[in-house]
Amino acid sequence: MRYPTRLDAVPKVTGKARYAVDFAAHGMLFSALVRSERGHAILGGVDAEAALSVKGVVAVITGEDLAPLFPRYGHIVADHPILAIGKVRYLGEPVALVVAEDRYSAHDGAEAVEVLYQDLPTVMNPDQALADGAPLLHTTDYGVGDRSFSEAHSEPRSDNVCHRVDLHWGDVEQAMSRADHVVETSTSYPMLYGYAMEPYNALAHFEDGYLKVITTAQHPFMVRDDLARVFSLPLSHVRVTSPYVGGGYGTKSYTKVEPLAAVGAWYTGRPVKVEFDATGSILTTRADSARVTIRSGFSSDGRLLARDVDLILDTGAYADNGPLVLSKASNRSFGPYRNPNVRVRGRAVYTNTVPSSSYRGFGAPQVSLASELNMDQAAEVLRIDPGELRRRNLIPPGERHYPGKRPMDADLAADLDLLLEGLGWGKPTPERHGIGFGVTASDAGAFPVSTATVKILPDGSALLSTGSSEMGQGSRTALSLIASRELGIPLERVAISQSDTHATPYERTSGASRTTTLVGLAIQRACLQLLARLEEVAVELKGGPPTEVKAAEGTVVGPWGDLSYGEVVQEWFGGQLGELSATGVVRRAGDLAELPPFWEIGASGVKVRVDPDTGQVFPLRMVTVADVGHAIHPEMLKGQDVGAATQGLGAALFEELVYDGPQLVNPNLVEYRVPRAKDMPGEIVSIVAERGDGVGPYGAKGGGEGTLNPMGAATAAAVARAVGRWPDRLPLTPERVWRLMRESGR
Amino acid sequence: MGVLPAFRLHRPTTLAQALELVNDDRMPYAGGTELLLAMKEGLLRPTHLVDLKGIGSLRDVRESGSGVSIGALVTHTQAADHPIVVDRLAGLAAVLNRVGNPRVRATGTLAGNLCFAEPRSDVAAALIALGGEVEIASAEGRRAMAVEDFVIGPYTTALEQGELVTGILVPVQPDLRFAYLKHQTTERPTLGVAAAANSHCSLVVGAVGFAPQVFRSPSPSDLDPSAIADRVEVVPDLTGSEEYKRHLVEVYVRRAVAALGGRR
Repeated sequence: MRYPTRLDAVPKVTGKARYAVDFAAHGMLFSALVRSERGHAILGGVDAEAALSVKGVVAVITGEDLAPLFPRYGHIVADHPILAIGKVRYLGEPVALVVAEDRYSAHDGAEAVEVLYQDLPTVMNPDQALADGAPLLHTTDYGVGDRSFSEAHSEPRSDNVCHRVDLHWGDVEQAMSRADHVVETSTSYPMLYGYAMEPYNALAHFEDGYLKVITTAQHPFMVRDDLARVFSLPLSHVRVTSPYVGGGYGTKSYTKVEPLAAVGAWYTGRPVKVEFDATGSILTTRADSARVTIRSGFSSDGRLLARDVDLILDTGAYADNGPLVLSKASNRSFGPYRNPNVRVRGRAVYTNTVPSSSYRGFGAPQVSLASELNMDQAAEVLRIDPGELRRRNLIPPGERHYPGKRPMDADLAADLDLLLEGLGWGKPTPERHGIGFGVTASDAGAFPVSTATVKILPDGSALLSTGSSEMGQGSRTALSLIASRELGIPLERVAISQSDTHATPYERTSGASRTTTLVGLAIQRACLQLLARLEEVAVELKGGPPTEVKAAEGTVVGPWGDLSYGEVVQEWFGGQLGELSATGVVRRAGDLAELPPFWEIGASGVKVRVDPDTGQVFPLRMVTVADVGHAIHPEMLKGQDVGAATQGLGAALFEELVYDGPQLVNPNLVEYRVPRAKDMPGEIVSIVAERGDGVGPYGAKGGGEGTLNPMGAATAAAVARAVGRWPDRLPLTPERVWRLMRESGR
Repeated sequence: MGVLPAFRLHRPTTLAQALELVNDDRMPYAGGTELLLAMKEGLLRPTHLVDLKGIGSLRDVRESGSGVSIGALVTHTQAADHPIVVDRLAGLAAVLNRVGNPRVRATGTLAGNLCFAEPRSDVAAALIALGGEVEIASAEGRRAMAVEDFVIGPYTTALEQGELVTGILVPVQPDLRFAYLKHQTTERPTLGVAAAANSHCSLVVGAVGFAPQVFRSPSPSDLDPSAIADRVEVVPDLTGSEEYKRHLVEVYVRRAVAALGGRR
C-alpha cells in the first residue's frame, strides 16, 4: 500500500513553511540578552546608563523592573526568574533584556550594560552539591506551580536536592540475600543538548487587553498558564500560538523564552521579539546527566529476583521539568521485567549549571544505560545468552510489572525476537565487531487529556482543530488521516488547524509520544459524534427511522435516498452556508482510567566495528522495532524511529556538554557534535510490529521516543563485545574506547 | 552573540586598489568562513573589511611553469573540481573534497584558509607536504614564500602589513607519492598527517599542535612514527588528551608511511 506524502513535506523542503521565527509585527522591537558571566553570585547592580545611550536602544529591563509582576515561572516549582533577581545561579543566566529598534542596536546595547557581581562558591556537579556544607542555590519557598504534582518541594530548603523519589515494593534486601548472583552496574550518562534546528524564539505583544505570543512551543496551553500567572491575567486573555515548530524533542516542552518577550512587550508597550542562536538555546535548556547504580539479584537459572536502583540527576540551576524527569526516570529504571522486589532511590540535584528539562525519552535513556547493561553483565555472569536472559524475565502481555499501573500492552518477547533476528544476533562476528541491543518500556502518554473539534463545511470538506503542535513528528498528517478514514472523505478534503490557545481546543501537551494515540482518539470520537449528528440532522430533514439512516463514506444514506455531507449541512442551514461540528474529549476515564495510557516500547540495537588502533567506533547496522499496535502511516513512523535511535547514537558516541569550572566549554554546534549523515550506519532496518494492542485509534499506541531509550546501552554493549571490556560512561569517544582496549589488553 | 559588529566595507575591483586599501585595521577577506565567525563571536573587530571577490584576476587556476597556480579567490570546491587540479594534483583535490563541510568548501578559499592559519587546517598540512608556495603582492612588488614558512603559528602568518596573498603555487611532480590521512570525529580534524615522497620524503603533522610540524627523511621507511609521536607538539582538547593524541600521531604516521609504500 502507498501512503500519502506527509502534508507539510512540500512547504518544508521548499522553505515556504513558516516557523515562529519567521513572524513579525508592525512596530516590532528586537532584543538581546545580558547573560550572567558568573556561575553563582549576588547581583550587586546593573548599570544600564551606557546601554540606554546606544542609538536605537529603547529599554534595558532587569529583574527589579518586574516587581509589579509575578516574576518567575515553572510549572512544577515556580523557581525560575524571568530575569535574575538578587542573584545569578549559572553562567549564561538572563540578567537583563535590552530592547531596541533593530537587533544590532540591541546587541550593542547588551554589550554596554555593566553588571556588578559578588561571587559565591559554586557547586558544579551533584557530588559538590550534596557535600556537607555545600552552598545552597535556593533557600526560598516558591510554592508549587502544578497542584497535581503534590510531591514537589515547596518548603524552605536545607540542601540542594530539587526533588526526591522513593519507590519500592517487595523486600529487596531479603531477596538479594537469597539470590544466587548479585550483579552491580554503575554508569554515567552525559549532559546533553537536545538540538532542534529552530532555536528558541518568541514574539509577544499586548493588544485589546490580550497578551498575544507566537512561539516555538510544544505545549502552548502550558505556556499560556505560566504567562497568565506572570501578568495576573485570566487564562482567556492570553493567546499563545505555535506555528510549525522547528524541532522539539521535548526541549520545547514548557515555558522557555516566552516570558522574556512578554515582559519586553509589557515594559515598552510594543511588540518584542526574542530570538536566540544555538549557543543561547544551549544556555537555556539541556538534558539531565545521570549517575545510576543498579544492583540485581538473580537465581542461577536467570530469574530476576530483585533490583535496587540509586539514581542521581544533575538538574541544573532551576527545577523546570526536573522533578518529572526524575519521577519518570525512576519509573523506567528497573526495566520491563517480571520483578517482585524493587527499590529506587532517586534525587534530582540543583547545581550551578544550565537548567535541564525534558528531552526525548524523558529519563529513560539515562537509566536504561545502567539497567540494560546490567542485564548484559548478568548474562555474562550467569553464562546465559543475553537475549535468552531477557526472554526469561520480560513481562508477558497482560501482566503487570509495576503495581498500580496498566498491565503490559505489548508482546516484548516477540519484539525482542524481531530485533535479534534483524541484528543477526548469534551469528559469528569478525574480530573487533560487536552487537548490542536493549529493550525498554516507558510509562508514556502523560496524563490523558485531549480535546479536538471536527467540522463539516457546506461543501462537505472537513476541518479539524487541535491544540497539539506539528513539530516534525507528522501529527498534521497522522491526525488528518484518522479523520479522513473515520469520515470516509479523501485526505485532500481534510484540513487541520493546530496550536492556538484562542482558536483550537485544549491540549495538555505534545509530548510523551501521546499525539497519535490520544489526540487521534479525540478526533476519532469527534468524527463519530459528527457522523451521528449528520444522521440526526438528515432524519430531521427527511424523516425515516433513525436506525435506517447511516452516515459513512461521505454520504448519509436513508430510505429516502442519498445525501452528501455537504447537502445535509446546506439543507439544514438553508443555503450554501453553516457548518456542523463536534468535539471529542479524552479524559482519564474508561479505557484510559489506568495509567499510563500505554507503555511505549523501546527495542533497538546496533552492530559496530571498532578501529583497533584509534578506538573509533563505526556503527555498521542499526535495527529498530516499533511496537505501536497499529501504524497510521508506517513510513513516517519509521522516520521517527530511525531519528530517535540516531539521537541515541549521538549520545552514545559523540554528544556531551562539558564544564570547566563554571564555564561551559562547548556551547556551540562545532564542538558539541550531533550525528551527521556520514555517521549513520550503512545498514538501517526499521521493523514495524502491529498487534492492535493499544488504546488509540485502530489499536494504535505511541512511538517516536522508544527506540532512543536502549541505544546507549546497546552501543555500550556492542563496544564491550568488540573490545572485551564494559564501558561505564557515554559518549564512547575514540579515546575512551582506546583506553578500554588498553585495559582489556585486547 | 551571533551578530556582526559594525564595519565599513570596501569593494576594490583591481589588485592595485586592494593593495592601497589593506592595512592592519582593514582586513581583506574572500570566503569569510573563518573571519565572519570570529567577528560574530567578538574575537576580531576590524573597522574596515576589504572584499577581494571583485578582483577577477585572482580567480584563475592555471599551469605556471612546472606547477599549478591557484588564485586567491578559488574556493575549495572550485579547485577540487578544476580539470587541471584533478589531472595534475589529484592528491590535493582529494584533500580539498574533505575540508570542513559543503558550505565551507563552496565558500572558503585555499588562500583564505592559509591566511587565517587556523591550527587545524587540512590545507596547510597538505600544501606544505606538496612543497606549495604562497604568491604575495604588495605596493613594492611581488614575492613568493614556502607555505611552510608562511604559516608560523596559530592564527599567525608571515604576511607583512600592506601585503596580500594573490595565489598559491603548487609544484607538479609526476613521480610524487602523496597521502593525507586525518582523524576527525568533530567539525575539525583532531589530527591530519600529510606525506609526500619521491627522491626524498616530507611528512607534515597538522591539527594536533599550534602549527603544522614538518619531518623530512630520505624515504618514508626512514621515518620513525614513535619518535615523531614523542617529538610533536600536542595541544589537548575535547577530542583527546595529550597521551591519546601522541598515540594517534604514531598510528597515523605509521599509516601514512604504509600508504606511501614504506615498510613500517
